Amino acid sequence: MAGSLIKIDEEIVTSAVASVELGGTDWDSSYDVYQLVISNMEMSLNNAQIRLKFLAGGTPQSTSNYDEASKVLVSNTTFANNSLPNYSAFVITYVGASTDTNARFNSNHFLFNMNNASEYSFMTQETSAFKNGAVLEGKQGGGVYTVAEAHNGVEITALGGNVTAGTFTLYGLKK
Amino acid sequence: MATLEELTTEATAEIEAAKPLYKQVNKERLEFTDDDYAQAVTDLANSKWNEQEFGYIQARQEAYGSIADQLDMQYWDKVNGTNTWQEHIAQVKSDNPKPA
Repeated sequence: MAGSLIKIDEEIVTSAVASVELGGTDWDSSYDVYQLVISNMEMSLNNAQIRLKFLAGGTPQSTSNYDEASKVLVSNTTFANNSLPNYSAFVITYVGASTDTNARFNSNHFLFNMNNASEYSFMTQETSAFKNGAVLEGKQGGGVYTVAEAHNGVEITALGGNVTAGTFTLYGLKK
Repeated sequence: MATLEELTTEATAEIEAAKPLYKQVNKERLEFTDDDYAQAVTDLANSKWNEQEFGYIQARQEAYGSIADQLDMQYWDKVNGTNTWQEHIAQVKSDNPKPA
C-alpha cells in the first residue's frame, strides 16, 4: 500500500556526536505505531554500547525503568539470552559496536503506545551489527519502559564514545 | 571491587576528557548542556557498575561451548572415563568469577 509509512523526522550524522534525538518538536502524535530505522551507524570507540531512551516532553527519560529481553545471535560463538531489567536505557547492542573499517550497525524498531499517558511504551528491536574481527551480531527482542506516561521521541546515544556517521529515521505507520 | 562513588569519579574523569560532547537535534549539532553532561556521567557510571556486578554473566555465556559441543564432551567423558566437560565448565567459571 503506497504512502503508508510517513517520515516524521530524520537526522543524518556526518560529524561526531554523542547522541541523536528524533521527535521532540517534530513529533506527530497522530499515529498508533512508529518505526525507527538506524542505518549504517559508525562509532568512534570499540565495544561502545548503543543505547535508546524515550523522550517525554522532549527530554530523554533516564529512570531505571527500562526492561529488555532479547536473543543474541553471534556468528562466532554460542547464541545468548540477554535480559536487562531496570536499566536506565535500552541497550540495543550486546557486545558493542566497532571502529573497524567495514563495521556498521543497522537496526529496525517498532514503537507502541507512545502517545498513551496511562500505559507503558514498548519497543521491538531487530539489529544487525558487523563488528571487530568480522563478527556478525544479530539481536531480536523487545523492551518496555515501565512508567505510564506519553512519549514524543527517542534518543540514541553511544555510551562513552561518539556516533561518527549514520542515518536515523523515524516514521509513523499510517492508520 | 569499586564502589558506585568510585566508578562515578572514574566516569566523571572520562567525560571531562571527552569534552566537548555534542548532540544532534533538529538537524543541528549542539554542545551538551550541563544537564546532558551530568546525565552522561550517571549513565557511564551505572554502566560500569552493571559491568562490574553482572558482566560475568555475559562473559560466561560467550565462553561456554555450544550445547552440542557440551553434549559431545559428556558422551566422550562417559565412554573414556574422562572429565573434559566438568573441567570446561569449571574453567569458564574460574576465568569469569562472580563478584564477591
